[in-house]
Amino acid sequence: MYTLQLATAGLAIGSVYALIAIGVVLIYKCSGVVNFAQGAFVMLGAYFTYAITRLGLTPVIAVVFSTVLMAIAGAATERLVLRPMLKAPVVAIMMVTLGVLIFLRAVALAVWGPDQIAFPKLFPDGAIEIFGIFITYNYLTAGSLSICLALAFLAFYRFTAIGLMQRCTADNSRAALAIGIHTSNQISLAWSMSAALAGLGGTLLATLNGLSLGLSDIGLIAFPVIVLGGLTSLPGAVVAGLLLGVLQAFTDGLVTPMLEGFLRAYTTIYSVGALQQVLPYALLILVLLVRPQGIFGWRGSERL
Amino acid sequence: MLEATGVTIRFGGVVAVDALDVIVRAGEIVALIGPNGAGKTSFINCITGAYLPDDGQVYWKGENVVGLTPNALTRRGIGRTFQNVASLHDLTVLDIVKLGYGLRHSMPLRAVVLNALRGRDSVADELNETLLHPLGLADFRHAPIQSLSYGHRKAVDLARALAAQPQLLLLDEPVAGLSSSESRSLAALIRKVRDRLGCAVLLIEHKMDIVNSTCDRVIVMAAGAKIFEGLPADVQVDPEVRRVYLGEP
Repeated sequence: MYTLQLATAGLAIGSVYALIAIGVVLIYKCSGVVNFAQGAFVMLGAYFTYAITRLGLTPVIAVVFSTVLMAIAGAATERLVLRPMLKAPVVAIMMVTLGVLIFLRAVALAVWGPDQIAFPKLFPDGAIEIFGIFITYNYLTAGSLSICLALAFLAFYRFTAIGLMQRCTADNSRAALAIGIHTSNQISLAWSMSAALAGLGGTLLATLNGLSLGLSDIGLIAFPVIVLGGLTSLPGAVVAGLLLGVLQAFTDGLVTPMLEGFLRAYTTIYSVGALQQVLPYALLILVLLVRPQGIFGWRGSERL
Repeated sequence: MLEATGVTIRFGGVVAVDALDVIVRAGEIVALIGPNGAGKTSFINCITGAYLPDDGQVYWKGENVVGLTPNALTRRGIGRTFQNVASLHDLTVLDIVKLGYGLRHSMPLRAVVLNALRGRDSVADELNETLLHPLGLADFRHAPIQSLSYGHRKAVDLARALAAQPQLLLLDEPVAGLSSSESRSLAALIRKVRDRLGCAVLLIEHKMDIVNSTCDRVIVMAAGAKIFEGLPADVQVDPEVRRVYLGEP
């Protein structure tokens, strides 16, 4: 039963990871750029929601507003920072996204300060019991909301006209341009959707863990997730996000106590620290060694 | 409808298209022929916004369209196919044709959701009926385009262009790589499309039997310049054309 309890919590967190990772994949597919600023979008989204609720608006409206603001912020980042670098090498552009991360962290630090902030309650307190598993409303709403959004997004990408244009641009942007797709608008749109998803993910994470600058570190978790999922696969990002969430929960709830119990009995080591934070990167290395194209990845072939 | 005057395209010192005048009227099928390197594709690239002409004007329905992006031109009703079909990895035949449709038609979200709930797709059904079936692609509609033969990929490209219901259709060697029976049915389809949409067609083609049976007018280019314009029947007896093609003095 305890295992199931951990798995449920892990799935809830994992679905938020999935949401954030989808955004990274989206931009990578469209423009070949790995967006290191995703963590900053996550953090900014949560701060926006916080700031808007402080103005006295109800939580639901605050979340909607902050998501819209994040969509604008994403498009603005693309237009103002990345568009002028259109002809620069991809590595240079990735460094710039790293710069955006540092810049936005500094801005958040200046505006909201370095301390942990009590995040406004978006969902009611309490928990429900399903088949003997207790889930707090926080986890339940965060998890179900993000998994629904992730699925809705996948459906959007698959079935709508804009989704088709996105996929075509991602697949072959020169061909997309030639057949009459406004590719630069599609790239702006990808950034905008990506930032909106990240911001929403940030808001949901802040309801679970509180709000601080440290929220931007979650952007780094997105990289093990997308590498695990195969860098270009959106369903891969969702599955890998859920998987990583569950693995982290198990590490925190089962592996760490067992390991610490063992170490305390036989050595003088008292604690192993936050092992669940190390796990994603250990997994990243493992995946890169064993299956570099990821679970759902497509191995590119070279014409000889 | 389309009126190009004095179009000149240079690549460095090479003059690919030299002061070319082309007029295509609504409902007319015009062939653009000429030896390799005559500048035919460059001219089409210029009309669709891929190249900027160094000189000259292109008017489409009275509007000067030089400098517009391919996207803007597609929305104004100029559609084209390509000589070489681009490689796309994860789109299916139906996806690509729907993409063409989506460029000039709106697919309202409500309709998309309703279709998804009913488990069918009215746009896809319509495209299947009007385009994929006549082009012999109905059986492949869920196949990734990479898995198709060259001829079928060209047919997909044509279906994609037609799905946007263009008013000017620019076809770059549509029957290259097709068998002669496939070529004939494609030529018949082009005429049928012209009759149905009333669109203008500008066709680059090397196969003279297709040109003769399909086109209303022929323009012959050599080294970037127009050397002949007239009826298909008169092309082969024109001394200048014979000189360029056959090397007669």
